Amino acid sequence: MFEFTSFRQPADDYFVNNVEDVDMDVDDEDLFETDGMNLTWPGKSLTSAQEYMRGHGTYVDNEEVIASVSGLVERVNKLITVRAVRTRYNPEVGDLVVGRITEVQPRRWKVDGNSRQDAVLMLSSVNLPGGVQRRKVESDELQMRSFFEEGDLLVAEVQAFFGDGTMSLHTRSLSYGKLRNGQLVTVPPILIRRLKSHFISLPCGVDLILGLNGYIWVSKHIKENEREGEEAFDAEAVYSNRNDVIDDSTRLAISRVTNLINVLASRSIPLTDTVLLDAYDWSLEQEGDVKDLLQEDAGDALVATILAKG
Amino acid sequence: MASTSISKAEKSYIQAGLLANPPRRADGRSLHDFRVISLETGFAPLSNGSAHLSIGRNPHNGSGGTDIMASVKLEVESIEEDASDGGRIVCNVSCSPSAYPHLTSGALDDLQYDLTTVLHQTLSHPSLHPKNLSIIPRKKSWLLNLDLLVTADAGNIYDALFMAARAALWDTKVPRTRSVEYKSPKSLSSASGDMDVDQDTTSGFDTRKVAHATDFELPDYWDEGEILEGRERWPVAITLNLVKTIHFLDATLQEEASCASRLLVVHSYESPTSPTVQSMRMLGSEELSILHLKNLIKEAESHTNTMFSSLTAKLEDEDFRRNQKARERFGKRR
Repeated sequence: MFEFTSFRQPADDYFVNNVEDVDMDVDDEDLFETDGMNLTWPGKSLTSAQEYMRGHGTYVDNEEVIASVSGLVERVNKLITVRAVRTRYNPEVGDLVVGRITEVQPRRWKVDGNSRQDAVLMLSSVNLPGGVQRRKVESDELQMRSFFEEGDLLVAEVQAFFGDGTMSLHTRSLSYGKLRNGQLVTVPPILIRRLKSHFISLPCGVDLILGLNGYIWVSKHIKENEREGEEAFDAEAVYSNRNDVIDDSTRLAISRVTNLINVLASRSIPLTDTVLLDAYDWSLEQEGDVKDLLQEDAGDALVATILAKG
Repeated sequence: MASTSISKAEKSYIQAGLLANPPRRADGRSLHDFRVISLETGFAPLSNGSAHLSIGRNPHNGSGGTDIMASVKLEVESIEEDASDGGRIVCNVSCSPSAYPHLTSGALDDLQYDLTTVLHQTLSHPSLHPKNLSIIPRKKSWLLNLDLLVTADAGNIYDALFMAARAALWDTKVPRTRSVEYKSPKSLSSASGDMDVDQDTTSGFDTRKVAHATDFELPDYWDEGEILEGRERWPVAITLNLVKTIHFLDATLQEEASCASRLLVVHSYESPTSPTVQSMRMLGSEELSILHLKNLIKEAESHTNTMFSSLTAKLEDEDFRRNQKARERFGKRR
């Protein structure tokens, strides 16, 4: 019931360099290029400022372009930028994101999308009950909370950007809209790769929506034919807050997938459907409860298995 | 503690899971399971006692979890005329703004004040007061400042605060002092020639003699001191999160947002079989019947019993580990 551990201490020789290293003639370029990726860290000098222009993630000092963040160096013609590894979500048009409503304003909602600024969801960008093509009426503006209210989770697509970089979202598809029957997991946005489809169905009866902003929705599987057809666009069903009855095995599967996502994210493994499927199969073979997946040794074993599969 | 934003669908998902048979929580824990607790004492060498505690911290990269740093600093206080003798204890909780990024500074101050009040009122109670905080009776005593810093909050803040406070107080050492008395030069010169032994020597049995000690000194500057008295008595707290008829422990932020009320019970164990309730608080907006409350207090006691023995075992382990380390370092120097 109660388990006490210690904080992990660095080993005694962690901070001591080997004597040989001090005399070594360190050639920065060769030391840190792995697999052709050009990694850099803050303070590292990249190139001369005479020949190249500096971009994001760099600064100029003494006629040298120096990186200011840790990440990958990218070179486009005469422009040098550093793409940071640990950063907020940088949206592109067409990205699928999972967001949470923070405010309700006249004819729009403000949505938190794990980015630098809250996104905007216009009232004209959502499907209104009574048919997909229904135009909005005065009374819709007065009852916006009957659609989305503060705290609601939704899945949407980035439609465009405002002048200041704020995303504008839309839910004009039957697969987008309010989320229910599950729970949210947050991971660093950089671990979500751009895939063909971000709606993943695992064989254990669990559906996943991988938002590119790092918000992942893990829920009970909804069969294709149960999704609302165009004629039956019923506000009661689409904007409802009521969950279905979820049975025990599905709940357990959802918890298992949640723990696996957290373990993989803490070890910086990018999340794709194949990775998650492999992880799920591996975890079923293990003894012990779902909660034991969060232990350090279980995580190590899982990562070793995933990396071995390639 | 801060109001986490949660949707109605998420809330009913969590509640349905808790009320199901068997109960299911988001990460697969059972209703009475705690997340892993990391504890380290003596991390701040300049303080008289310190502890660093974390509930639910990811073991691999150290992210997440509720993180508390507690530190005890003793300062010398001159006792005013009618103030209490024998030292006093002052607790203070401060919340780092990075732990609560969605709170304004005013709301953060309110939260700090609430947490401070709960801790201070419980820990400064006379029944827990340690007996070795006096330096010179009626003149000088130790003021014990217990400061707790919340650097991250992932739910269950009260249990974490009380555990960290107990650990820091367990680790506290009070410097040994010796009273010093100043004699005026006159009495020295008169003691010449025939020595009247009775006049100069003072008998230990003579209780009429009033203490003339006006100051004190530290006999050994480098000595850490003696252990703060009464360290078995420092209490532990358990928060019972209530949903309809069931209760669960160690809630995450989403789980806290899904239950309407919580009961905080603080127990002290002078001896393992005689617990005393030091403090109790109801948090939230729902009502509790007296019968339900009685049952919950009984359940809380069984939980704090387990927590108390596990925590004490860990604290003794920590003491042993640090003595080992000190011995190793000393051995290396020889």
